Amino acid sequence: MKLTKQISALLLAVVLFAAFNVSMYQLLTRRLSNNFSDVTQAQMVDVGRYLPHTDGSDLPKIDTSLKLTGDLPVLDGAAALVPVYAAVIDTLYPEGCVTYQGGEFSDDNYYGENFAEDSVMQYKNTVRGYQAIVDGTTDILFCAAPSEQQKQYAHDQGVELQYVPIGLEGFVFFVNENNPVDNLTVEQIRKIYTGEYQNWSQVGGVNRIINPVSRLKGSGSQTTFEAFMGDDEIGRKSPLAITGASIGFSFRYYMDGMVENEAVKMLSLNGVYPSAENISSRRYPVVAQFYAIYRADNTNSNIPLLLDWLLSEEGQRLIEKTGYVRIQ
Amino acid sequence: MKDRTFLIVFLSLIGVCLAVTVAHLAYIVYAYEHCSIIYFIGKELWG
Repeated sequence: MKLTKQISALLLAVVLFAAFNVSMYQLLTRRLSNNFSDVTQAQMVDVGRYLPHTDGSDLPKIDTSLKLTGDLPVLDGAAALVPVYAAVIDTLYPEGCVTYQGGEFSDDNYYGENFAEDSVMQYKNTVRGYQAIVDGTTDILFCAAPSEQQKQYAHDQGVELQYVPIGLEGFVFFVNENNPVDNLTVEQIRKIYTGEYQNWSQVGGVNRIINPVSRLKGSGSQTTFEAFMGDDEIGRKSPLAITGASIGFSFRYYMDGMVENEAVKMLSLNGVYPSAENISSRRYPVVAQFYAIYRADNTNSNIPLLLDWLLSEEGQRLIEKTGYVRIQ
Repeated sequence: MKDRTFLIVFLSLIGVCLAVTVAHLAYIVYAYEHCSIIYFIGKELWG
């Protein structure tokens, strides 16, 4: 009898621990394990789909009056803008100037994609891209507005950067497709991130904790989000929030045209859906510019040619055809 | 099983289970900081 009780106690302990770990796995671990790396945002962009001068790529085609020769500027940029600067190379640059090496994720290649050193197309994403433009290894960087730290880094290195706005993009908030909330006001979102609203029932949803998710410090979306919050301080969330129903943010085309994950949905803001039309007309309330950025002391004569072309009717049509919104 | 033996076995078992659970939780914290939030939100459990 005593032995039976002892064995029961041992079994109960094992079952309790197993139940806890299985619950945590179902609730969290299975949602993380497929995206585990140092910089997983970059993993979600398959650069191989956007290689210039490659049959079957997803890049748009337009006729152009300009073809660059000579010292070709090296282009780099944010994950969300790979289609834009790849399309620029595809349209304006001669064939043979891009050498794609690809590769598996590793300590040496934690983006899972790479280009040869002499390739005019590079892909370092926002954080390393800003370092590259300041350090002079990239000629033009396609990115969202810089963070204060990135501005400071340029200042500390004694580098002046020029920012040329070339297009518009909607800054979007998204939730799981099964979340019944389809629309929030700007004020409601700010109150979610300051911590004033902590349950979806406070904004017309179900009775579940809100998990407001942020991004990597210095990424384009995180910097844009901090600008969106303005003077409202981002609150500390409850440790239990991770078990709740999440809300996140990104850029419209990254969500809708590149990642295309049907398990999430973009929210309308103030009753306006983030469609290209509503961003172009500025009816959608959170519209951000994206930029072509270069060093003021860069003497490559193709840079002004390329930038003037980007702001021309042809360049703006190309930006529109990649899925973004023209600025002109 | 003697009480002393049972206690040693019981505490050893709890220790192993705790170690596994702490490792699991540490993995969750680290992976959460570095995961894709689109994928994370897309795999959320709903009804």
